Amino acid sequence: MDEKYSSNVLSSGKLGMVEVPNARLTRYIILLLISKVLKAVGIFESYDILKVVHIVQFIFILKLGSAVVLLFFQKPFSSGKAISKRQWIKLLKHSVLGCIISLLGFFGLTLCGPLRTLLLFEHSDVVVLALLAVLFTTSGGGPSKTRGAALFIIAVVCLLLFDNDDLMAKMAEHPEGHHDSALTHFLYTAIAFLGVADHKSKVESWSGLILPLALIVFSVMILEFYVEAVCAAKMEAPRCARYSTAALFLSALLLAHFWSHPFTDRLLSVRTPLHGHGGTEHVLSGGVVVSAVIFVLASSILSAPSRKGQKGTLVGYSPEGTPLYNFMGDALQHTSQSLPRFIKESLKQILEEYDSRQIFYFLCLNLAFTFVELFYGVWTNSLGLISDGFHMLFDCSALVLGLFAALMTRWKATKIYSYGYGRVEILSGFINGLFLMVIAFFVFVESVSRLFDPPNINTDMLTPVSVGGLLVNLVGICAFSHAHSHGAAKSCPSSDHGHSHNEHGHGHAHGGHGHAHGSHGHAHGGGGGGMNANMRGVFLHVLADTLGSVGVIISTLLINQFGWLIADPICSLFIAVLIFLSVIPLIKDACEVLVLRAPPEHEKELDHALAKVEKIDGVLSYRDAHFWRHSASMVAGTIHIQVMAEVLEQRVIQQVTSVLKDAGVNNLSVQVEKEAYFQHMSGLSSGFHEVLAMTQQMESVQCLKDGTCIM
Amino acid sequence: MHRKKQENDTYVLGTIHPFRRTHRSVLGRLSQELRLVTSDRRSWRILAFGALNLLCTGCLLMWCSSTNSMALTAYTYLTIFDLFSLVTSLISSWVGMKKSSQLYSFGFQRLEVLAVFSSTVLIQLGALFILKESVERFMDQPEVHTGRLLVGTSVALFFNLFTLLSVRNKPFSYVSEAASSSWLQEHVADLSRSVCGVLPGLSSVLLPRMNPFVLINLAGACALLLTYLLIEIHNFVAVDTASAVAIALMTFGTMYPMSLYSGKVLLQTTPSHVIGQLDKLLREVSTLEGVLEVRNEHFWTVGFGSLAGSAHVRIRRDANEQLVLAHVTNRLLPLVATLSVQIFKDDWSRPALLSGPLPHGGGAGDGHGHGHGHAHLSSSPLPPLLPDPLTSTPSKPLGPPPEFSFNTPRRPHSGLGLAYPAGPAAQGLRPGLLQGASAHSYRTAPLGFGTSHPPPQSQYRHYHP
Repeated sequence: MDEKYSSNVLSSGKLGMVEVPNARLTRYIILLLISKVLKAVGIFESYDILKVVHIVQFIFILKLGSAVVLLFFQKPFSSGKAISKRQWIKLLKHSVLGCIISLLGFFGLTLCGPLRTLLLFEHSDVVVLALLAVLFTTSGGGPSKTRGAALFIIAVVCLLLFDNDDLMAKMAEHPEGHHDSALTHFLYTAIAFLGVADHKSKVESWSGLILPLALIVFSVMILEFYVEAVCAAKMEAPRCARYSTAALFLSALLLAHFWSHPFTDRLLSVRTPLHGHGGTEHVLSGGVVVSAVIFVLASSILSAPSRKGQKGTLVGYSPEGTPLYNFMGDALQHTSQSLPRFIKESLKQILEEYDSRQIFYFLCLNLAFTFVELFYGVWTNSLGLISDGFHMLFDCSALVLGLFAALMTRWKATKIYSYGYGRVEILSGFINGLFLMVIAFFVFVESVSRLFDPPNINTDMLTPVSVGGLLVNLVGICAFSHAHSHGAAKSCPSSDHGHSHNEHGHGHAHGGHGHAHGSHGHAHGGGGGGMNANMRGVFLHVLADTLGSVGVIISTLLINQFGWLIADPICSLFIAVLIFLSVIPLIKDACEVLVLRAPPEHEKELDHALAKVEKIDGVLSYRDAHFWRHSASMVAGTIHIQVMAEVLEQRVIQQVTSVLKDAGVNNLSVQVEKEAYFQHMSGLSSGFHEVLAMTQQMESVQCLKDGTCIM
Repeated sequence: MHRKKQENDTYVLGTIHPFRRTHRSVLGRLSQELRLVTSDRRSWRILAFGALNLLCTGCLLMWCSSTNSMALTAYTYLTIFDLFSLVTSLISSWVGMKKSSQLYSFGFQRLEVLAVFSSTVLIQLGALFILKESVERFMDQPEVHTGRLLVGTSVALFFNLFTLLSVRNKPFSYVSEAASSSWLQEHVADLSRSVCGVLPGLSSVLLPRMNPFVLINLAGACALLLTYLLIEIHNFVAVDTASAVAIALMTFGTMYPMSLYSGKVLLQTTPSHVIGQLDKLLREVSTLEGVLEVRNEHFWTVGFGSLAGSAHVRIRRDANEQLVLAHVTNRLLPLVATLSVQIFKDDWSRPALLSGPLPHGGGAGDGHGHGHGHAHLSSSPLPPLLPDPLTSTPSKPLGPPPEFSFNTPRRPHSGLGLAYPAGPAAQGLRPGLLQGASAHSYRTAPLGFGTSHPPPQSQYRHYHP
């Protein structure tokens, strides 16, 4: 492939590594291409030979031949350093592993033909390393590598699914049989290798095989070894990998087309004695062509040099005007803690507090039930069970969201999250509410479509599953109703209660004193003011699931007893409406918090407090009073207060803060302004418009003074 | 539609002042707000498009059930998303007409953000649903009819592009530009860069950032076309499910950055692109005359783009509060539109101000001030102000506060102070002596505030606006 077609021209051509121009490398590239084409020919030849020669014998001959030639050329024992004992052990390991790999490779060759073996087996190490880096590390090297990995996987999937090779199809039909035979075959070969002679060899004359075997030894082993070594020395590894992969795959495609052609049969007279039992050739299908092309693309993208430098973040500009980057990303990744430790710490954090502990236990229970259901479904091959299991997993995502939010709420405030993470809880409650609305919508649509055309339902498995689900969800309701009833109880308009709650200010961990208000029950329409919205969302989710189970049980009973098929859609319709109605208060409250409405449960107190603020000594008026609930435990506010010139500002701040604190505002900033402030501001602001605005404000303050004087 | 309706009536409830709460029905209020919105000519267009969209979505949903194709369903959700975005732009025009009230003191700009957030989250939840259904379909692939597949695709694509390009959607265009680019955009940008390496003429078309909505519509249409071809030619029915998964993943990829951005706005976080600027301003503020430190700084975005914030500024005891307040506000106001700064002093109840200009009181008062502010005492970094005597820097008849002579370590953010000359400097006053003096004056000073009301103050106390 030409360099221009690689994925990032900019970096590799101009900014990245400097590559040697093509002209000087042409002969090496040509050599590489020729060796790869010869290798493809050799693999095809060996497929033919493997039809008559036993695989173990074949590999033995191959290894022996290459060993003799290499021993002759390289002289490992007489030249170079002496091999130490440790190196001998390494050598032994390497050779054993190499034997096993080549055994597996050639065994695969006998099973699925030369072309597919080449496509799957002959990838250079650069490509494989890049693929693994994309799949298993976070810094894969930009979007192009990700695309390459996706293409690679698509190619493999394409080869597996859309390649309707006859032999492969036969194998796919009987996977167990295939595995069995492979295993027995492998055992058999192992025994044959250890034992004495081969007794099943179909070879009549070994003399006819000498030439092809020599060709294979030469092309597959020796030539490739030397050419690769030379090219690796002269060119970069990625480029080498790109050319060799492209050449190998394309020549394999061509060979697969022409190999069984009668023309080549005549050309290669060697193959005529072996070609007696053709019949089950691996044909060239559309799927394999597509996947070969995708493989070529993927390996060319994956082996392209990556741009590591792009990872840095722009810090600023140097005095000369060149941009400065910060390459902290890679350094930070090395310091990240290990996975078991991370899991342990987050588990500890989860179990520390009441809410997250409840969610976690319930999540575990739910997951256990789901997996039992899934395994049983796979065991008994029941589709209904499996799909119900997936549905449960889908529901678990809401629980995971709630758990994560409950965990995040306790994180410390950072520079970006300057008020702390308490608001995450409300957002998570809102998302859970939206989730429930989506579920209600889908159930509604499904049941409406079933209302017109009630399907015949198989009710055998439904009852035990739904009873199990009901039990699990009842446990969940017991666990969460505590928090929920508390949240609802808080909305009760008793001023004493509202007041005392502000004194606590310890977040949503209402461990003990929830019981005092537990008797209020589930006041759904009460409007809890977004308090503990996360737990409310989770509770509603569990409630919806329970309703679903109850609905399934009732409709199953009705169908079994009376044969009313229409009972099922009516039940679902009813449930959808119930879910929808129960979720509206949650969404409404969360919305009010998110759009920074003044907290409804503090409305009256705030009005009184503002009236009180105006009566403080020296206070003329106030403006820009903003109060909003930030999180369950925090009501924030800002206010600007105009005072007279003689008053001490700090005194006013203290008084205003204490008055508003009584009204429930626990994060307040008070800006105290005197007339002097507006004069300063009008002096400082240079622009005409600002001066105008400021003088208007100043005049308003003076007007107020005048007005009061007249009064 | 019910979402919008519900949102509308939620907020209509809030806009009405508690003292003159009318007892009209939800529908009445809704119709009132609708009348308000439809008074604008542009919103008629949005409403017309919404009606068309409903029609189109209904048709597509019918075709989805008749073809039984998951991919077409996933694509139809993009049309539903278009409906959401139309509702969002309607809300945006409504927000533009509404003033802020006592309850919604920041105005209704956040409603736009909320609408963007909920529509992106809803469409992602829909994609999640598609994923779940696709997993179920992989196990038991039903038959898919291709009769209406191509028709549905072309209708949906044409309609979506028409809506996207003809209705100006302020909130979504802002978010799609401000949010980080999705993986789909990144891949397209990467690909088009390599294409431009071959054909440089295309660079003006391909190199600018692609609109994510147009991109996902085109990509989804491509996936559906591929599905149609493969089903028609090879009868690979499983391709339908695969392309549904692909469309769902693309939807996730496109919507996730936007919901992240708007969610961060809703979480009242400091937007990361202004952090550098804010840091610079705060550093400037902390080097101002008399400022000791800035703490409890909260800066966040109200709607898309407009910043709000509050900060507590601790100043020296002898600094002029109104002057410092004016300077701090002046620095921050260009960036932060809704700002409130609380000035506070330690030990303010000591009568340093009441007992006249007590020169040495300041030094003993701020125990942890550590000689920060005084570095600027000698030379005023502030520009010359109005001739008004209040505006100029506080006159210093006596030398700087005593701790200057002790050479205490500077605060890290007072780096600018290095440039200033040492000034008249060290007088060698003993702090212990000073503390005694100020403590003494505290005891003897008349406590004029709070307990007694001087006549000029009392006349203001009866004032009610």
